[in-house]
Amino acid sequence: MAHALAQLPRDLASIDAGRQTYMGACSGCHGATGEGSQGPSLHSGRVARLGNQALISVIKNGLPGTTMPNFPLADDKLRQLAAFLRTLTSPAIAAPLTGDPAKGRASFFGAAKCTGCHMINGRGGHPGPDLSNIGAERTLPQLRESLAKPSARIAEGFRTARVTLRDGSVIRGVAKNYNNYGAQILDAKGQLHLLQSADMAKLDIADTSMMPPVSDINDLLAFLATQSLRPYEGAAR
Amino acid sequence: MTVAVLFLLAQVTPASIATSPNADWLTYNGDYAATRHSPLKQITPDNAKNLVAKWVFRLDGAKKLEASPIVYGGLMYVSDTNQIYALDARSGRQVWRYRATGAKGARVNRGTAILGDNVYFVTADCHLIALNRLTGNLVFDTEFASFERGYTASIAPLALKNGILVGVAGGGSGQRGFVASINYQTGKEQWRFWTVPGKGEPGFETWGGFPAEMGGAPTWTTGSYDAALNTIYWPTGNPWPDFYGGRRPGDNLYSDSVVALDGDTGKLKWHFQFTPHDVWDWDANENLVLIDANFRGRPRKLLIQANRNGFYYVLDRVTGEFLHAKPFVKKLDWTTGLDDKGRPKIIPEKIPTPAGTKVCPSVRGGSNWMSPSYNPATGLLYVVTLEQCDIIIASAKEPVPNSGFRGTGNEGIPTEPGKFYLRALDAVSGDIKWEYAMPGPGVMWAGTVSTAGGVVFSGDDDGNLVAVDAKTGKDLWHFSTGRSLFASPITYMIDGKQYVAIAAESDVFTFALFGQ
Repeated sequence: MAHALAQLPRDLASIDAGRQTYMGACSGCHGATGEGSQGPSLHSGRVARLGNQALISVIKNGLPGTTMPNFPLADDKLRQLAAFLRTLTSPAIAAPLTGDPAKGRASFFGAAKCTGCHMINGRGGHPGPDLSNIGAERTLPQLRESLAKPSARIAEGFRTARVTLRDGSVIRGVAKNYNNYGAQILDAKGQLHLLQSADMAKLDIADTSMMPPVSDINDLLAFLATQSLRPYEGAAR
Repeated sequence: MTVAVLFLLAQVTPASIATSPNADWLTYNGDYAATRHSPLKQITPDNAKNLVAKWVFRLDGAKKLEASPIVYGGLMYVSDTNQIYALDARSGRQVWRYRATGAKGARVNRGTAILGDNVYFVTADCHLIALNRLTGNLVFDTEFASFERGYTASIAPLALKNGILVGVAGGGSGQRGFVASINYQTGKEQWRFWTVPGKGEPGFETWGGFPAEMGGAPTWTTGSYDAALNTIYWPTGNPWPDFYGGRRPGDNLYSDSVVALDGDTGKLKWHFQFTPHDVWDWDANENLVLIDANFRGRPRKLLIQANRNGFYYVLDRVTGEFLHAKPFVKKLDWTTGLDDKGRPKIIPEKIPTPAGTKVCPSVRGGSNWMSPSYNPATGLLYVVTLEQCDIIIASAKEPVPNSGFRGTGNEGIPTEPGKFYLRALDAVSGDIKWEYAMPGPGVMWAGTVSTAGGVVFSGDDDGNLVAVDAKTGKDLWHFSTGRSLFASPITYMIDGKQYVAIAAESDVFTFALFGQ
């Protein structure tokens, strides 16, 4: 029985049912996308490392000594909810798709102009993060956030930078790195500038991403979620 | 103004690698000839005492760095298990990092290659990964051997013509070694040379019917190349099982050998086997150094190697002819000497038995993969050597590949700990001209770099990077890294300043003269 409980459904309908249970029972404390508010974030490694059975047990029995109450749901509801929670921490490639990857691909290499800055398997542009393996390295919620709110979280090495050199010329790009003694700037053409403080009159680092928000994200998300260099072999837990 | 705008630099071409090392260090051993001799001469025996640390960089997750960095256009590339970093070579600041997420295995990594706009490294599970050298963006990821079948990889690839040459580890578990050339732009394999002949091929008869698929002869270190002869020289490892030869009667070609391969096709031109029918695990994977020198009164193209079996070898690299050999360690007892073809006369009592047999040198060898270097001005080869014996125990169990079976194994002799020496060998005679003792726990695995300034840099057994006089071996300077050393140093120059760098367990340490 315990074994059966640990098997989570992977079909879209079940996960969507889990999402609905989540919105009703959990989102008040853990946030609409599991980002956490009164309750802790469910995107954490601590949650990811819980086994399926342990995760279901926490929901069913609550956590004594904390404000986490028990939710005595039916087993199938619990499994659906746990399956939805897994999508918050599993690599995107393991998550069920809601968009069309083929349309997303066409958009990525076409109208959405992603390849001005991003590269997949050697195709595309330079200053943005390489996305060849992004489906294996990020969760679906993380990808969704990056598309909808690019400035919410900027990966190290990709902050927008503007350098004024001593001769007055200006370099714009992303700061691969910077400190009081120098900066390493990759500009939009893929040119790398290794600068020392003596070279620079002024260095401005912005808290916003160079990337514009994407409005129509579903198909792009589905395409990016499939970007994995190696076959997905399940979470190691 | 010292702005280094890297895009202005040309792509790395085979021609530029052929002129390395200069200010840059473009291939694992610095040059195709594997001399690891730099023309830089800012650091001299007179001023080496003024060397100071310039920066230290910690690689996240690194435990045992064995890589020799590559430096080009102001960037240094350092690889580790399944990851590679690009650093600003003046400041040690990280520019990018690539992790092979999902790679299996955790083998050490010995370095990178650079060609065109890409840098290359291998993962522990035998993928060759090409990355844009400025951004770290992925260009291709090609699997060249099956991890599931027991292959692993640790090699620094060799960029040659339009190929990236790779080899495999796994000689201790029953795989078939090979060298492969993978196109540097497409990731497609161009040729492959198997180091164990298949049925019907010349050399198959030297295995007594033992399956080629299990033969070993791995190719886990980087080969050398002579452009004028268009010949690749690749060293091979031991036959499998390591310590028990009963199921593989014969010489076991091309294990423990140098194979000379055509630079375009990978076809075998000649071979020389250092240790026929090896039962001591004496891989011949030590660097093959290509030098031109007068030998017995006439100029010759030579190939020299300080082999794990304790002998220093001199071959003619045009023909493969054996010219000369001489022990470079004192603890050597497995042979009464070599015949005029270089074939050892083995002492039967030194063949390992189930009861255990004391053999010198040890399994680790008189030397190993740690890089020697050669200075043409002194005519000396600087090689880290190990004086040690082992007890080797052989088994007669049926060999099972990919099971960790090695035909049993070796153990050290507690009362006779290994001792390391940096030795300067006359490259023609093999005579030891000077030696520099390296007291310590007997764990180091560090190599050397030679410079035209007349200074040799080497790691020692106590975690020091040391500088010694190339002519005399006199101690000039040392720096304690606080780590054990398992890598070989390099040297490079940026903005008129000569740097020396070595990877030490988890960090890269870099030095230059004070005030420069």
